[in-house]
Amino acid sequence: MTDQHPLPGQPDTSRRSFLKTGLGGTLLLSTISVSAGLSGCATAPAGRIGAIDSRMDASYQFQFLSRDDIALFEALLPAILAGSLPDAQNQRRQTVASTIERIDQGIVKFGPPNQRELRKLFDLLNFPPTRMALARTWSDWPSVTATDADAFLQRWRNSRIGLLNNGYVALTKISNAAFYGYADHWHLTGYPGPPAWMTESLPQFTSA
Amino acid sequence: MSMNDPIARGLAAGWNITDASKLTEDRTVEADVVVVGTGAGGGTTAEILARQGLSVILLEEGRLYYQKDFQMDELTSYANLYQEGMSRATADGAIAILQGRCVGGSTTVNWTSSFRTPAETLNYWSQNLGLSELTPDAMAPWFEGREQRHNMSPWQTPPNLNNDLLRQGCEKLGYSWQVIPRNVKGCWNSGYCGVGCPTNAKQGALLTTIPGALDHNAQLFHGLRADRLVRNQDRIDHLLASAMGADGITPSGITVTLKAKHFVVAASAIGTPGLLLRSQLPDPFQRVGKRSFIHPVNATVARMPAKTDPFYGAPQSIYSDEFNFKEGTDGPVGYKLEVPPLHPAMAAGVVAGHGQQQRDNLGQLPWMQSVIALLRDGFHPDSPGGTVSLRDDGSPMLDYPITDYLWQGLKKAYLTMAEIQFAAGAEAVQAVHLDSGWYTRWSEAKTAISNLPMKPHRVRLFTAHQMGGCSMGHDPATSVVNGFGEHHHISNLNVHDASVFPTSIGANPQLSVYALAARNSTRLAQKLAPSG
Ligand SMILES: Cc1cc2nc3c(=O)[nH]c(=O)nc-3n(C[C@H](O)[C@H](O)[C@H](O)COP(=O)(O)OP(=O)(O)OC[C@H]3O[C@@H](n4cnc5c(N)ncnc54)[C@H](O)[C@@H]3O)c2cc1C
Ligand code: SF4
Repeated sequence: MTDQHPLPGQPDTSRRSFLKTGLGGTLLLSTISVSAGLSGCATAPAGRIGAIDSRMDASYQFQFLSRDDIALFEALLPAILAGSLPDAQNQRRQTVASTIERIDQGIVKFGPPNQRELRKLFDLLNFPPTRMALARTWSDWPSVTATDADAFLQRWRNSRIGLLNNGYVALTKISNAAFYGYADHWHLTGYPGPPAWMTESLPQFTSA
Repeated sequence: MSMNDPIARGLAAGWNITDASKLTEDRTVEADVVVVGTGAGGGTTAEILARQGLSVILLEEGRLYYQKDFQMDELTSYANLYQEGMSRATADGAIAILQGRCVGGSTTVNWTSSFRTPAETLNYWSQNLGLSELTPDAMAPWFEGREQRHNMSPWQTPPNLNNDLLRQGCEKLGYSWQVIPRNVKGCWNSGYCGVGCPTNAKQGALLTTIPGALDHNAQLFHGLRADRLVRNQDRIDHLLASAMGADGITPSGITVTLKAKHFVVAASAIGTPGLLLRSQLPDPFQRVGKRSFIHPVNATVARMPAKTDPFYGAPQSIYSDEFNFKEGTDGPVGYKLEVPPLHPAMAAGVVAGHGQQQRDNLGQLPWMQSVIALLRDGFHPDSPGGTVSLRDDGSPMLDYPITDYLWQGLKKAYLTMAEIQFAAGAEAVQAVHLDSGWYTRWSEAKTAISNLPMKPHRVRLFTAHQMGGCSMGHDPATSVVNGFGEHHHISNLNVHDASVFPTSIGANPQLSVYALAARNSTRLAQKLAPSG
């Protein structure tokens, strides 16, 4: 647990507010000792998840996201990416799974300070008391429907509390960038990708 | 790898480059001058000093990426070439901070717009801040020199439609507009400047001053982070640095000690104040980190009847200064109008949203046009900028409160941008704001935008221009370095980057950084010149 030491003379807002911000639109939470109460949560990176107990590609090694975080994104992505995910169940699952892997890859490069902020955000969303209090989502994420997930996202987007708005932007931005920024999904935005006349003549594409 | 690539060639020819992630034991190295940071300021400094025969060591926290790595892919580029994997933001998360972290610094990912420091800004500094030696006339030769070094000239090719629509809107409304000078040589007009130029056309530090320094025997360490300058009396004795591991972000545990006669810090705004704060150098008036500026940026997006393909073509080629200095240098905040390139991840990051609505917004990317306003912060008492401080782990963080003065400017800028887009024929316009819908008529947009709540997070804000935090000035009570970048209290320490600007620039800053670094390095070279 990182302890925060407010400077003398400054109001100790970090103790009271649940959320403090960080990330380019990513959010974070603060010092309520979320992690201390999280014994029930799996906050360790999920590492390699066997194909048997999940839909994940067993060859991918998670470096940041925990099993609970993965469940959180499995619940949120169908709402965040509504209209863009494939209809067929199998393909849909695979797309969600590979998007979560790319979210993990992106967060690894965020570096330690913003990772700490995200850890707080995800812990808060995964810890049942704070999930219910702040996300107002009553069931655990694996049983949340896309409609409920959408309602949660709308609440955070429309909240008058800036910190929740920030949480909304953080969750949607990392998801949208990992999804729409990925070559297989460029076509959904109408972006044709790097022009062939470039890739056909540039050495980094033409030579081994 | 192609031997037409100057970096691949230099590596093959034996440039003195060390990838710090490969070091297996601690080392001590020594040179006449150690330069921290390899961006606009650091590259310029290293080349000028090395050409004078001084031995120079450059260190860069990010890694060396070059043509072979520039594959026109947003996700890998944002992860590897940008600070905090593109997740950097102000302390409350309300403003996204785009900043480079690789050899060449932000110049490796910048959009190539090349403006001289506006005369109004230089006059303000010389008349109000006592920097009388920095007049437009005195600086002109330094701008000229750097314009040549980086091949800067107004863009001759017709602008892409994204930019041309800014021109058309301004024409219709009688607002001034100009063609942007760019630092390119043989540009393919591709649009990928922000992810590392794949063709080597961009004449940033990576292909100009860094090779110039290496050709003159400079040594470059990359993947090496400057942690702390260690002082002995009024001099820096040495610099302690940490090697990053193969992932580029986790320290490997190996440290490098760098000794030199002189140290130049060019880790840019946020980075430089961070290093000075970690080093606990004398700062009797607590100026380090204060007055940090960002040109706060807001945006509108428009749906156009014709395809704009805003992902292709030189990203910035048209600008308008109609509103930049109109109300005086230190009146209500002025703003420069430009256009951003839009690729899918950038667009998805700029326009916040989710679900079918987001899908519909992003699905019209080929018809999208966007205008951005860059606010000129730091000239008015109600625009004192932000403050850089250290997190518990020693990393720097920018706290940037947005004052009412700035909110008023942002509101006005939204209106100006929407009006221009409608004048250019937009079918619909949306302010990049959580509460904005799509407006189909200017009158509707005008009323709706006037009523948008101007609050952090709801107004989506960005910056790609970090400045200040180690202000230059004559008076140590209000500044950290003098007009030559020399530290007020440490005799062998200079700062040569965007952190020395005492206000924002009021234009994209790269040429301001290049020119001032060239001037101050030329003086430093004379001071340190090998005797005889
Ligand atoms: C996406 C984008 C687009 C832009 N477009 C334009 C444009 O069109 N025109 C324009 O004029 N400007 C543009 N800019 C801004 C411009 O590039 C910068 O203002 C300029 O490069 C700043 O120069 P600098 O020397 O201060 O810092 P930088 O060029 O950023 O270099 C600083 C370097 O220091 C390194 N560093 C930081 N801390 C440490 C440490 N502790 N140890 C070692 N190294 C460290 C960083 O990794 C970085 O490489 C853009 C910037 C971005 C991010
Ligand atoms: S437009 Fe393309 S070719 Fe030209 S400088 Fe930018 S990235 Fe390089």
